[in-house]
Amino acid sequence: MGTRVRVINLLTMVVLLALPQEQRAQAGGSVAESRPNPNQTLAIVVNRSNPIDNLSFSELRKIFMGERNHWANGHRIAIAMLNYGQPERRTVLRQVYKMDEKGYEDYVLGVMFRGDVFVAPKTLTSPTILRKFVFNAPGAIGYLRSRDVDETVKVVRIDGLRPADKGYRLQIDEPSVAGEPE
Amino acid sequence: MRRSWIARKASRHLSMVLLLLVLLGEACVALFVMRDLGRSYATAEKMYNGSVQGLLRIGDMQYDAQETRRSTLYALTTNDGNLQVMYADQSRDADRGVTQGIAQYLTEARTPQQIQAGRQLAADWSDYLKVRDEVLGLILENSPKEAVQLDLNSGVLEFDRVRRDLNDLKQSYDAQASQQLATVARLSRASMARLTGALVLGLFLGTVAIWAIQKSRVRSAMQFAKLQMDFVASVSHELKTPLTAIMTAGENVRDGLAFNPDHLFEQGSVITDQAHRLMKLVDQVLQLSATREAKLAHALREVRIDEVIEDAVRSTRSLVEQASFTVEASVDPNLPWIIADVSLLSQCVQNLIVNAIKYSSGKRWIGISAHMNWEENAILVSVQDRGIGIDAEQLSRIFEPFYRSPQVIAAKIHGTGLGLSIAKRTAEAFGGDLTVSTELGVGSTFTVHLPVAKDISADSVERPAAEKGARV
Repeated sequence: MGTRVRVINLLTMVVLLALPQEQRAQAGGSVAESRPNPNQTLAIVVNRSNPIDNLSFSELRKIFMGERNHWANGHRIAIAMLNYGQPERRTVLRQVYKMDEKGYEDYVLGVMFRGDVFVAPKTLTSPTILRKFVFNAPGAIGYLRSRDVDETVKVVRIDGLRPADKGYRLQIDEPSVAGEPE
Repeated sequence: MRRSWIARKASRHLSMVLLLLVLLGEACVALFVMRDLGRSYATAEKMYNGSVQGLLRIGDMQYDAQETRRSTLYALTTNDGNLQVMYADQSRDADRGVTQGIAQYLTEARTPQQIQAGRQLAADWSDYLKVRDEVLGLILENSPKEAVQLDLNSGVLEFDRVRRDLNDLKQSYDAQASQQLATVARLSRASMARLTGALVLGLFLGTVAIWAIQKSRVRSAMQFAKLQMDFVASVSHELKTPLTAIMTAGENVRDGLAFNPDHLFEQGSVITDQAHRLMKLVDQVLQLSATREAKLAHALREVRIDEVIEDAVRSTRSLVEQASFTVEASVDPNLPWIIADVSLLSQCVQNLIVNAIKYSSGKRWIGISAHMNWEENAILVSVQDRGIGIDAEQLSRIFEPFYRSPQVIAAKIHGTGLGLSIAKRTAEAFGGDLTVSTELGVGSTFTVHLPVAKDISADSVERPAAEKGARV
């Protein structure tokens, strides 16, 4: 399954690179210099009671890697991950963890075994449940497509950028899963 | 006299009217009682429903509060984040039910105690929800020990306050419902008592009225029977006297006691006079019977009243002259015609003239007058005498057949007691009436009221400008 997805992703990138630059922008390909597609940006969300508004990408990575366990207000950080196989999860693994699924699983088992991290990230089945989790847990942090964000959670800027801003780094570089509108 | 006749008529139906009034009054009372009863029940039912609904709402709130806490604690039983979120959702759904219930209670609260209790519950529930949110957060953040600690330290206490508040509200509704039930019972008892009282009173009054009606009927029947017996006795007595005289004269002739022509003439005269008297009596009885059963053979035609008076005066002329009476007649000119039988109407007036002669004192004068009474739309024919007058106590009975007052009997004034009765019934047969005004020792005035036919009363008759007198 993982190999098939990687192959598809690779083929998609090849096709996109072969296109003229204008068409590539329309297709949502390499978009560093264009405005991000809201359906393809990944928002980092926290509980509304959390005072934090901005994180650097490196802080974000530390949090997700379990190198930082508590927020400034003392709440324990609870990481919420979407279920295996979802584009958002793959994007976070690739762009934040810089790992694949197998590497992530090994990493989590390792840090748990060593006692570096006491609590494994929560794995939730859908963006809706993830949003509710973040709403209910003051120390929660998770990620959602921008279209799945509502007022029950708070979006954190990354390196001072909102998901809609140019240069925002967390872009989902693969299509949505079947049945999900873009 | 006319008033007393009306009073007699009215008294005849008084019991019936009383009964109807009682029934009407009873129906009104029953309607009022039923209305009161209905209102009481409606009010009490409304109040009671409010209490019951309040109790149900409190029950729902108690269940939702328990569900809020239960769902929160269920989240402790799993490490699965999805299940924990589901339990958190259930807890929040349940707490919304409690919050809405409190808001509704506060909207409907009326008394200061209710408002105070509602506010206390709202505050305690809000405090518990804060703790609940923290507990949920700790559970989701994978801090179950801290969550349990927080729940034991604060959640249990806060929830216990909420539970007590809800119990207080429930007891308040319980007390209110009990009080309202008692009110319903009291209102019902009072209404039933009123209804029963009204029915018993109505039954009693109705029974009294029926008893009075029956008594009146029995009395009427007895009076009628007595009247019949008096009638038979009077007729027998009146028949016996002339028959005795005829028998005596006949026996005198048979036994040869009348032996010369003068004696024979005298006995013959007795026989014929008494036979005439007998004939007259029989005629009167028949006439009375005919008037009583309304079987008068009317020869109705348009009649002028002066024609009737002249006929009556002419018919009684010999009697008047024998008694040395003066008759003065005064008839208004241009009186309207009436529809009547001249013979019967004349007989009616004759009876009054004969009556005036019989019961006169030393003053031998009779006045006859006729004039139009526009108010009654009737011609009034009055026969006035200056005789002995009639005792007020006897006035109510003088028109009864064969009735003769004790004073008349004592004065040995002969008569059958039929004249006034026949005159009155005759007047009534023509749609009129016979009334009397009298003063003891001064005299009496009998007045025949004769209604004028409608088609000739207003249009064809000039109202009299002056009276025209006539002396007979």
